[in-house]
Amino acid sequence: MDSLHLGSYTFSSRLILGTGKFSSSSVMLEAIKASGTGLVTVALRRFNREQPEDDLFTPLSAIPGITLMPNTSGASTAAEAVQAARISRELSGSPFIKVEIHPNPQHLMPDPIETYEASKILAKEGFLVMPYIPADPVLAKRLEEAGCASVMPLGSAIGSGQGLATAEMLRIIIRESNIPVIVDAGLRSPSEAALAMEMGCGAVLVNSAVAVAGDPPAMAEAFAEAVAAGRKAFRAGIMQKSGMAVATSPLTAFLGPAS
Amino acid sequence: MPQIVTIQLNGEPFTLPRCSSVSDLLTTIASEGKTVATVLNDQIVRPENRSAARLEEGDRVEILIFAGGG
Repeated sequence: MDSLHLGSYTFSSRLILGTGKFSSSSVMLEAIKASGTGLVTVALRRFNREQPEDDLFTPLSAIPGITLMPNTSGASTAAEAVQAARISRELSGSPFIKVEIHPNPQHLMPDPIETYEASKILAKEGFLVMPYIPADPVLAKRLEEAGCASVMPLGSAIGSGQGLATAEMLRIIIRESNIPVIVDAGLRSPSEAALAMEMGCGAVLVNSAVAVAGDPPAMAEAFAEAVAAGRKAFRAGIMQKSGMAVATSPLTAFLGPAS
Repeated sequence: MPQIVTIQLNGEPFTLPRCSSVSDLLTTIASEGKTVATVLNDQIVRPENRSAARLEEGDRVEILIFAGGG
């Protein structure tokens, strides 16, 4: 069985789903079920008496086999992220934490320094740390050495749908990593998820592409199939590119010349 | 001595009877049935400690939930 291993957790699906931006909780829950995912992200927010239906813990906990991965979005420093992680663990009962620290709402690029500092502290506290990072091979290696369960480099900016703009850096990170590399952010279509998996990613994390699709549950299923196909292709061994044509049919023993 | 205290609840002023606990506050704002985290002056208050956690004038309380996010 080809499974994704993160800490002591095993997931049969290599698709991680975000829960933001869905038109309703019921559509989001349908999409999660259709995706077959075992790991979903959530965000810690202040309880709002006017919008109590925002509480996702209760409905998500009712889905069998779902583990929560809270994120630290909203934090702009390591200290804020660490506090958010500790509170989230109380709530989720899960050791997973997506360290997400982006100080600038214009581009939402992760702050590598604060992310590294927070990840180092949280790994020591026993969290399964999943840092959202720029596609930087040096940072990825430092985070692996700090004890992170995975690294999650961005394909492109959050919610941008620009796909695998960082593909060449991702290839280096994958080649150098001994922990799963999970492409997080920027994926727009299932073919991009398949490509990420063919490159050797351990998983992909998708949110907007499913949440804003015309039919989110159908798109979730399409992503699941693409991720599975990409992974299967990676394991099967993809042929090398050649600069020249390489014949598939014999070039000899054809009919004699026409008279 | 006044019979009410004013705390900061999720960043906003909020009044409640003296000697109220974090549990009482949750009942007052009707968050029962929701799974929330409670933080009193930057310290996490676990569910089993909420009844004993008394609120004083000027306390800062955060009540947090999981919302949708990527």
